[in-house]
Amino acid sequence: MAKKKETLLTVLDPRGQPSGIFGQCLTPESSPGDIQDPLAQPTGEVRPVRMAPRLDSLDGKTIYLVETGFAGAYDFLQEIQDWFSSNMPSVKTVLRRKQGSMFTNDPPLWDEIKEKGDGAILGVGG
Amino acid sequence: MVTARFADFISLNSQAHGMNLRYSYPPHPVAFVPREVIHGYIDGNDPITGQPLMQELVDALTLPLTEQENAPVIVRKPRHGRLLPADTEENLNRLFLENAWTDGLPIVLPTEERVAEMLTGTDHDPQEVVGRMSVTTHEERLDYTVELVAVNAIMAGCRPEHLPVVLALAASKQASMPSSTTTFISMMVVNGPVRNEIGMNCSSGALSPFNFANSVIGRAWTLLSINLGGAKIAENFTASTGNGVNYNNMCCGENEELSIWEPFHVQKGFKANESTVSLFRGWTVIGFGDGHAGRMAEVMKNVGMAGATFIVDPLAAKNLKNEGFKTKQELASYLAENAKPEIPRPRMPTADNIDFVVVGGEWNPFWMTTDFHYTHTFAIDKWIPKSGIRKDPRPLRMPAAINCSEGVCGLPGIPH
Repeated sequence: MAKKKETLLTVLDPRGQPSGIFGQCLTPESSPGDIQDPLAQPTGEVRPVRMAPRLDSLDGKTIYLVETGFAGAYDFLQEIQDWFSSNMPSVKTVLRRKQGSMFTNDPPLWDEIKEKGDGAILGVGG
Repeated sequence: MVTARFADFISLNSQAHGMNLRYSYPPHPVAFVPREVIHGYIDGNDPITGQPLMQELVDALTLPLTEQENAPVIVRKPRHGRLLPADTEENLNRLFLENAWTDGLPIVLPTEERVAEMLTGTDHDPQEVVGRMSVTTHEERLDYTVELVAVNAIMAGCRPEHLPVVLALAASKQASMPSSTTTFISMMVVNGPVRNEIGMNCSSGALSPFNFANSVIGRAWTLLSINLGGAKIAENFTASTGNGVNYNNMCCGENEELSIWEPFHVQKGFKANESTVSLFRGWTVIGFGDGHAGRMAEVMKNVGMAGATFIVDPLAAKNLKNEGFKTKQELASYLAENAKPEIPRPRMPTADNIDFVVVGGEWNPFWMTTDFHYTHTFAIDKWIPKSGIRKDPRPLRMPAAINCSEGVCGLPGIPH
């Protein structure tokens, strides 16, 4: 018996289209509820960002350890600080909490690191 | 540094942002684990690269930048066509499932004919951009048109009469299940005349699966979040356990007819004859509560809530009014004062963060407690055709919930 020819359907793709617009970090003044509210979240286009030149070595350098707000991160950075003290004692580490939450920007801290630091380790996202 | 669980996500996300940052990945998680475990991670290897973690960090700060690192580019997601290649119904259903364009339940396939019919539910141009959405705070937003919203409404099982509510949801730009290792859940509450026009349940069992409009509109928000918000399991939807509420988003109407308080949308500045949808987000639903306002404060205090949205049966609202709370605001102020913890926390309860919606059918004076944060209320009327809601000749309706009849329910001294 000949197999019945099945009807072909044309359907629409259900997905949204890429907009080129990305979410941006919240300002330090943002209310805690803003992270739940997309209308309160800044957006904009992104531009490629180059990294800063690397250091020749860490000897005698000041490295900021920046806790970004995720649970467990401060303990983790304290352990890293201990590691530097034990294994690379010439490195000065400065442990700082970023103001606000993991979603907020902290321009004063970035300015401080540029002025007083040689490098930074941010973390721990998770 | 980012924990290894997020290595793939971070890599893609960096490329999308035009950054070639040097990441190191300790094992996951670093949260809520003993200090000695963390100590072991510091002395151990990055599980992604296999290299000693601390040496990797030192190298990240000292090894010269590569050519690629010196010339970062943005890796863009490609646009896709409007139509999918023609195929059989069976194959298309498989395609939608295998691409995770659904919630796993059967869908109605969005054929061109069905989309055209769905679009009779609004006067707006099909190509009008409604908004852009993402389930994360930082990823690229996806643009969507009236037509794309209609496509997802069809998939959820909606009829044209539901489209204005779904368009209002889409215009919120708010995904129902944002990305987090915690499990966000959402609630949507409809107010105004549209509730009755499209047969929504605001009464008994309003939050249970016994009403067509509540079911398909709530589901549509989930599909919007998947297809227009870009939610992908394990890529950007990272909820540790997930939650069944994500299927329907507690879609219901407020029982304005039996409420002794002003309707929720009026409280938020809309007129009583305007139709709106109000959105809420949080994590926790405590399904059963009874008794006086002091019990509400106890629940908030015990759970450590800085804010709350109570879903209150009309009888419970009458009880609370009998107790002396003439308005929702008076009750919110009382709770903010009496739910304060003994040891102050960064976020203490405030009356502004405590809301009430009246839902239910007066079977008993119960209330539900949620830690939901109210975000916004969105207008539905602008999406309704000038000729009115476009109903089917024989609208699809499930058996309606029965409200308590006059004189049967109620409380002494409080008029029904």
